[in-house]
Amino acid sequence: MPYLYSPGFIIRNSLFDMSITSQVNPIASLILSALSEQIEEKSLVWLAQKREKILLSGREMDFFMAFSQVSRYFKNIPLSLSQEQMEEANAICEGIRLDLWTQLQTARTYLVLQFPAPDHASWMGTLQKLFETGDMLEIEALYAALPLMPYPEEMISRAREGLRTNITSVFDAVALNNPFPAKYFDESAWNQMVVKAIFMQRPLFKIQHAESRVNQELANIIIDFAHERWSAGRNVIPELWRFVGPFIDSENIKDISKVVTSDKELEQKAALLACSMSTFDGAKALLNQHPEVKTEIETGKLDWNWIGEQALADS
Amino acid sequence: MFIDPHIHVTSRTTDDYEAMRKAGIVAIIEPAFWLGQPRTEAASFKDYFSSLVGWERFRAKQFGIVHYCTIGLNSKEANNEPLAEQVMELLPLYAGKQGVVAIGEIGYDDQTAAEDKFYRLQLELAKEMDLPVMIHTPHRDKKKGTTKSMDVSEEHGLAPNMVIVDHNNEETVKEVLDRGYWAAFTIYPHTKMGSERMVDIVKQYGPERIIVDSAADWGISDPLAVPKTAALMRKMGIPEEHIRMTCYQNALTAYAQSGQMDELDWLNAEPIDQTKKMSGNSVLRGGQVPRVDGPSDRVEN
Repeated sequence: MPYLYSPGFIIRNSLFDMSITSQVNPIASLILSALSEQIEEKSLVWLAQKREKILLSGREMDFFMAFSQVSRYFKNIPLSLSQEQMEEANAICEGIRLDLWTQLQTARTYLVLQFPAPDHASWMGTLQKLFETGDMLEIEALYAALPLMPYPEEMISRAREGLRTNITSVFDAVALNNPFPAKYFDESAWNQMVVKAIFMQRPLFKIQHAESRVNQELANIIIDFAHERWSAGRNVIPELWRFVGPFIDSENIKDISKVVTSDKELEQKAALLACSMSTFDGAKALLNQHPEVKTEIETGKLDWNWIGEQALADS
Repeated sequence: MFIDPHIHVTSRTTDDYEAMRKAGIVAIIEPAFWLGQPRTEAASFKDYFSSLVGWERFRAKQFGIVHYCTIGLNSKEANNEPLAEQVMELLPLYAGKQGVVAIGEIGYDDQTAAEDKFYRLQLELAKEMDLPVMIHTPHRDKKKGTTKSMDVSEEHGLAPNMVIVDHNNEETVKEVLDRGYWAAFTIYPHTKMGSERMVDIVKQYGPERIIVDSAADWGISDPLAVPKTAALMRKMGIPEEHIRMTCYQNALTAYAQSGQMDELDWLNAEPIDQTKKMSGNSVLRGGQVPRVDGPSDRVEN
């Protein structure tokens, strides 16, 4: 872990009295070292003091007030991470995207990871209050940190509650660039998330492990959704065909054909890309009628990330 | 550009938001208040405070308006003492949050002993949190109530420059300004303080420490009161700089003392999207062009 030996870290780490400890959480020391390299001394001193206060008193109120007041010392600007730090984070928690976090949410997460969690009932009670009284950015920070929390399985219903929000940024914190859903959601929660993401026109390619969680039920819901939108004379986002691809059958092939003949290139390509995921003969035949797109897919030039990026650029 | 530093937007429609933005309102402050009928549970206050720092912030943002709020127990509901005690325990949870620019609106309604007790406790909280105070002056027995509000505030050692006294009229303004406080005026359609009277006050007292707001809520009120009053001032020959001060700058200066309100919040030219940050830093534009999120940021419900 070469980052531990950066001069800034050694000097500043002395602020944090590590003899006072709560649960051992390797990600907490990683984010502390990342923060130490880019935050001014005054803010680090404050964070060290609050950590100590929370650990020694174990009082919820101290924790809650510090959690809010982080915004007075840390900015809502991007956290910088070295390549090594990103790899380290990924080794501790696969898929965690600290590189997309802000300094503010990182410091808040640090405090959350410090709060003593002697058993899951007390931890859940405290977190429940934190969620219920949180402002927009605080709640975003908490959802993005779910996979790092001590009892992640216990947080599944909370994550599902997060999907019910209509605040786009809060929804995104659960659904996008977060390893939590793919790892912990059952099929109904997963489908609830993907369908809402489609409805809210979110960039689906930022949902982690999308393809490993495709299922027949979801494909059926999506086909119905497309019909509903078309009846209303509206479009659907091209990315949704990704979740239908492996379930193309004699029934829904007509919908796929319809999109393939669309006058919008992106929709056409998305439908053909969906065909490439299918073992159904009709889908293969459709793809074979477009050899140039088929080549793009085979050479890796056209994939769901490309479709997603294009759709985002057009929006 | 205008700031409406007192508006209860939780009870306004999206049509209002759209009209406000079109009229040039870039930032608003929503003081915690009552809901027209008294609450009976502390949890109702919790959810209300949470919506002030959560959902309403998001709603405003969709229309390119930056939403701030004040947190406090209003004077009417202070009269339910057992409930008020529980609400007092909730306040520290919210008072320190980002975008909370004052403790308010607090003060007197019927000027009862219970109102006095919780007003004083909240003045202490403001001092402890180093936050400004927004005072709601009573609609009945106003002159005496206004004087008393300032007397008690001074008794607790608050500096007048940290206190905004709201709902002034011709009878109260002189003393409020003379004692060094910010004097806010709520423009009510039909009754009380109208735009015409506001113009006369600015003519007489000048623009120093005078703030115009709408206090629009669930009652008959006008969310465009600030831009309309500005337009009338312009028509009546009030200098541009005086309009800017009373309808924008003074509110900003007074509430920015919280450290929670910054002009850059609405002048920041680009929507901040953390997932896009790798390809370019967000740029602060020097000119006076407020950021507006596109219609794609609006949600379907």
